[in-house]
Amino acid sequence: MFVRKIISQSTVDGPGNRVAIFLQGCNIRCAYCHNPETQVMPQSYMTEISQSAPIVPKSRVCQPILVDTIDEVRDMPIADIVAQIKACMPFIRGITVSGGECMLQAPEIELLFEQVKSLGLTCLIDSNGTIPFSRYPHLLQLCDGVMLDVKAWDADIYKALTGANNDNVVKDNLSLLLNADKLSEVRIVCLPDNAPIKIDVDTILANLARLPLMINNQIPVRLLRFRPHGVVGILKNLTMPAEEQMQRYVSFAQDLGLNVSTK
Amino acid sequence: MTDILSIVKSQKLSYEQKVNALAHAAEDTLDVIPMSERTRFYFSQGSICNLNEGNAPYRPRYIMPDYEKAVKNGVKFLELEPPRDFDELLTFLQILYRHVPSITTYPVFLGDLDKLIEPFITNLSDDEVMKKLRLFLIYLDRTITDSFCHANLGPEETRAGRLILRVDRQLSQAVPNLTLKYNPDITPDSFAEEAILTSLYVANPAICNDVLNAPTYDRYGISSCYNILPIGGGSYTLTRLVLPRLAKLAKDKDDFLNNILPEAMQCMADYMSERIKFIVEQSGFFESNFLATEGLVERDRFVAMYGLVGLAEFANYFLPGKKYGTDAEADDLAEIILAKISDFAAHYECPYCEIANHHLLLHAQVGIDTDYGITSGVRIPVGDEPESIYDHLRHSARFHKYIPTGCSDILPFDITGKQNPAAILDIVKGAFALGQKYVAFYASDSDLVRITGYLVKRSEMEKWNKGQTVLQNTTHFGTPAYESGHLADRKVRGV
Repeated sequence: MFVRKIISQSTVDGPGNRVAIFLQGCNIRCAYCHNPETQVMPQSYMTEISQSAPIVPKSRVCQPILVDTIDEVRDMPIADIVAQIKACMPFIRGITVSGGECMLQAPEIELLFEQVKSLGLTCLIDSNGTIPFSRYPHLLQLCDGVMLDVKAWDADIYKALTGANNDNVVKDNLSLLLNADKLSEVRIVCLPDNAPIKIDVDTILANLARLPLMINNQIPVRLLRFRPHGVVGILKNLTMPAEEQMQRYVSFAQDLGLNVSTK
Repeated sequence: MTDILSIVKSQKLSYEQKVNALAHAAEDTLDVIPMSERTRFYFSQGSICNLNEGNAPYRPRYIMPDYEKAVKNGVKFLELEPPRDFDELLTFLQILYRHVPSITTYPVFLGDLDKLIEPFITNLSDDEVMKKLRLFLIYLDRTITDSFCHANLGPEETRAGRLILRVDRQLSQAVPNLTLKYNPDITPDSFAEEAILTSLYVANPAICNDVLNAPTYDRYGISSCYNILPIGGGSYTLTRLVLPRLAKLAKDKDDFLNNILPEAMQCMADYMSERIKFIVEQSGFFESNFLATEGLVERDRFVAMYGLVGLAEFANYFLPGKKYGTDAEADDLAEIILAKISDFAAHYECPYCEIANHHLLLHAQVGIDTDYGITSGVRIPVGDEPESIYDHLRHSARFHKYIPTGCSDILPFDITGKQNPAAILDIVKGAFALGQKYVAFYASDSDLVRITGYLVKRSEMEKWNKGQTVLQNTTHFGTPAYESGHLADRKVRGV
């Protein structure tokens, strides 16, 4: 697996204390990406990946892509990753695979999860949802849940923000994961009101609330405040959204009956 | 006599602190505990230390009254009937605490506060309970002016326990020290997480491994810093081996192992036996104090805490360049010594220690304000902590297994920990499963800091440093300990 970084004690990537594994490579180019160094993919697996998802090239919204740090990426055998995870037991309850976009390496994740599940740990996926989970039924069965980014609802906004056209895949994944009882969290990154891209947060929330399982199962919806730290490209000088703006979203989401938080 | 006059004239001591210091000075004019020449030698070198316990003990060092029994039966000496409602209970406890002696002259143990309160709050709303609790806890903080004072919670979740945590978080006080007895089979995660979250605001409560500590006696409580002692009893004395100073008396490692250590262990144990005999046979405590005559403590439920401090500096002294905590060689040597001391304590015949099967019980002593370059008990020195918190806790587990009457780790956490107390609970669960016995957290930005086991406010230390009078006499100990132990540089854990 192409690994950017492994954090042995993460308190922000899912419930409890987890090992977070950040994989290298992303297929979209979000304007607010705070770790753009994970975007570029090593040449050696470009072909394989490009079959599974369209790759957004260098994009207007998030450049430059930091190719110069590609040396830090390691092509790690799964056994080595498992050994690192074992070294953190019994202090963790599970692992979270993140990125980049980790689903670009879905077949590898499947092999990793098979071993990690046998250790009695939970396995979560943190994904942008642009790769259909329907292609990987066994992985879906293995994993304990997916934390899904819903970046925008409107196709034009999605395109402006990410450079990609596959917002419909995200929506399909949302339904699929909900119905399979594998949606552990929906994440929405919020930009300040004065940002050059207006994310339709209210529309996302309204559409989420139309899904009965979102309400009935009280799936957590997490509103993340944009932070300029690490951001390159057009949003790099933007400030965090104000607390009042976040509270406005929270009130709106609560009125819709969603289980919302800003932590 | 100059010392006594300087106590009288001091402008840094409160009135109460002067009275206590004068009583101590008077006690120390006596010389009633028999001591061999060699024992005197080790004392003079500071390698055996009685922690200013006084030359003529007239009460056991730590007293753990059976408060449940007191509440059930009342206390005749204090003319207290069993309390019938919450107000009566709180007044009952306030009066009783006032009369519980100890080495500090204040009570070091306030009981299982949640269990004491729970039956009395059934008909009261949360707000009513919290208002009364608030006044009660403020009273304790302002009158028990020494933070070597401990109330216990858990392992069961109770409404009283939750309300105590809520009030404690609002008050942010050094007294009482709180510890949650945590047992993963009994304590719900949500309650344990609430406790951890509270500790990231007010450095309270600490978390005690109930599974490993409960079997020490039939009923245990946590007192003073983190002492694990029998309820309805306590500890007569705590004397300590100051290992790094002892090491300096030896020609080499072999001389230490074969001559110095065995002799010093024997001297200290004999000295403790003499102290115990004085308390039991001559002080009159068990014949006359109401706690004993009314059965709130039993003579045969007292132990003797055999302390040690500076295991780290001891190992590093004999292995220059190696570091206890991260070098296997230093850790191995430390474990050999600890096992040796443990073995000695477990075989020494100590008078009047029935509940400990007539033996001594090891204690990882936290240190005192005049210890320079000596780390608490079996802890890793500040600055030498392993990079990974997991390795740190694995190390603790390895050494904690030898210590029955108290040992602990103190881990400052990054404020991001507040967002995910469940993650910290996962770490606690892992550590406890491996054998770590007791852990305390505080947030890197908290006013209250855990010094070695007790709590002190940074703001109070600043006052004391400026020469002003402070209410808590533990601020006097905490300020130099905070500086000499470089506690501000403790490795902050987090993401």
